Amino acid sequence: MSTSRASGRLLGLLGLILAAALVISLFSGRIQIHWQEMVTFGIHLLKGQDLPADLVHKELVLLWLRLPRCLMALLVGSALAVSGAVYQALFRNPLVSPDILGVSAGCTFGAALGLILASDVFGLVQVLSFFFGITAVCLSLGLARVISIKPVIVLVLAGIVVMSFFNALLMVVKYFSDPYDELPGIIFWVMGSLSRVSWEHVATMAPFTLVGLIVFIVLGFRLNILSLGDIQAKSLGMNPSLFRLILITFSSFMVAVSVACCGQIAWIGLVIPHMARSLAGPEHQKMIPVTALLGAIFLLLADSAARSISSAEIPVGIITALTGAPIFGYFLYKNRNTGWL
Amino acid sequence: MLSCRQLGFRYGDIRVLHDICFTVKKGCFCVVLGRNGSGKTTLIHCLNRILHPTKGQVFIDGKDMTSLSRNEIARAVSLVPQEHMEIFPFRVIDVVVMARAPFLGTAAAPKTIDYTIAEKALKQLHAFHLADKNFNRISGGERQIVLLARAIAQNARIMLLDEPTNHLDFNNQYHLLSAIKELCRTTDLCLVASMHDPNLASLFADVVIMLKNGRILYHGPNQKVMTPRNISALYDVDTRAIPIGDRKQLFLPKQGMGSSGT
Repeated sequence: MSTSRASGRLLGLLGLILAAALVISLFSGRIQIHWQEMVTFGIHLLKGQDLPADLVHKELVLLWLRLPRCLMALLVGSALAVSGAVYQALFRNPLVSPDILGVSAGCTFGAALGLILASDVFGLVQVLSFFFGITAVCLSLGLARVISIKPVIVLVLAGIVVMSFFNALLMVVKYFSDPYDELPGIIFWVMGSLSRVSWEHVATMAPFTLVGLIVFIVLGFRLNILSLGDIQAKSLGMNPSLFRLILITFSSFMVAVSVACCGQIAWIGLVIPHMARSLAGPEHQKMIPVTALLGAIFLLLADSAARSISSAEIPVGIITALTGAPIFGYFLYKNRNTGWL
Repeated sequence: MLSCRQLGFRYGDIRVLHDICFTVKKGCFCVVLGRNGSGKTTLIHCLNRILHPTKGQVFIDGKDMTSLSRNEIARAVSLVPQEHMEIFPFRVIDVVVMARAPFLGTAAAPKTIDYTIAEKALKQLHAFHLADKNFNRISGGERQIVLLARAIAQNARIMLLDEPTNHLDFNNQYHLLSAIKELCRTTDLCLVASMHDPNLASLFADVVIMLKNGRILYHGPNQKVMTPRNISALYDVDTRAIPIGDRKQLFLPKQGMGSSGT
């Protein structure tokens, strides 16, 4: 079919753009790396030739700071974007982002708690953040289950309840934190940044992103049906509650790990799925891979910008919000006559 | 064949359906007639387990529905929902091909054969020209036809229709019901449709079930049940019949005609 060839071509094109974005991202930052030096590093790694002393330092920056950071941007970008796409289908609402069940609010509270309790204990912030993010989603699901009517709307309302509660807890933590030392730490953490990323983060994030991505692509056709609502999904032989639970579980883990490692990076989960839909159409088998690639490209470029705009690094969450909001406005305008609004 | 025995349903403390018993045979167009809130939609939803009946049983070809999986039910019973817009601008063909879900593995996407079946269903209703259009951008009547095509592609022996003529104009109402009637005749389909217009029901139905406050008021062949007396009782409006030839009649409320004088 011609449509499948067209979507194959789109994926190929986006793959090329992603590769280009990766290269740009590897070159950008405060320490300038020339492309000839990059070639030298390549030869060094392959053949084990000795490096000149001035390049050793640069190679360390590239291998231990920049490369993991770029890979993490790629993984987090696609995880957030894909989760957003899945949530928009599940909640039958194009204005939903992965935060809707309180996962980000829970993660942020956990991280803030970790920062004031013992910011020097390695990994505590990440572990607490992940733990509270998942707790928040479980609370939302549990609350919705107790109410148990009109599943979709109740889930959204339960999410708002849980989110508000964790935001309140975050304020408590902020209030009792040391305003000179800990409070700025919490605020910068909330803004979202990839500057703390190491290879360990990449190794944690990669399996979650990849497994989630595969699950979502495989269940793409079922997502189309779920987006029609429970009555039609049931009449077409599906168990909507079960599928919702599976999809929410996978995306919550993806988002919780992302936020635990990099803080809140806004707008990707909301904007990228819309961009993907206008490129690849609304069918999830086709738009989920496109969403993943676009999310990766977007965060890679945003992070490159965050590193190179000023001499001091800007939190990437600011860049994504500053660019994401106008892009979203543009898509609202562009899709105004497709029955989308 | 679809039958239900002492079917009951309650939302919390509110009893919506009581003691519903009926059987619909193959090739029979059965219309469930009643006022708003009489329990028509609830009944339709109980017949393919979108809602779980709180009392009684539903049988599909003699098999108790509680013993069937959701996929098995979907292969036997299709549903035509009320015409509506979707959240995402799917193409018409993509909406119709969703009918193949109960025949596909959980992880599978529809294949060429499934698209062929979907196209055939659209052609059967003379709606193939819509295939590539945006489902949200076609007219309400066309959308209802597309949803009917989806139910056809589901290839079930029993088809449920939830107020299929709602929001449709005069032309589309007759176009759609004729298509449904034809389908019923040619494919031996067992059809249950909820409606609230007695005239459309009397023109197309084989069997009529009159539902009032969640109970069956009258039930039987069209000619027998559709009388001014029964319809007056069903709608709480004094109704009379006007013969229109061909052994058919039109039902109109008496009051509305007072001033024009007869």
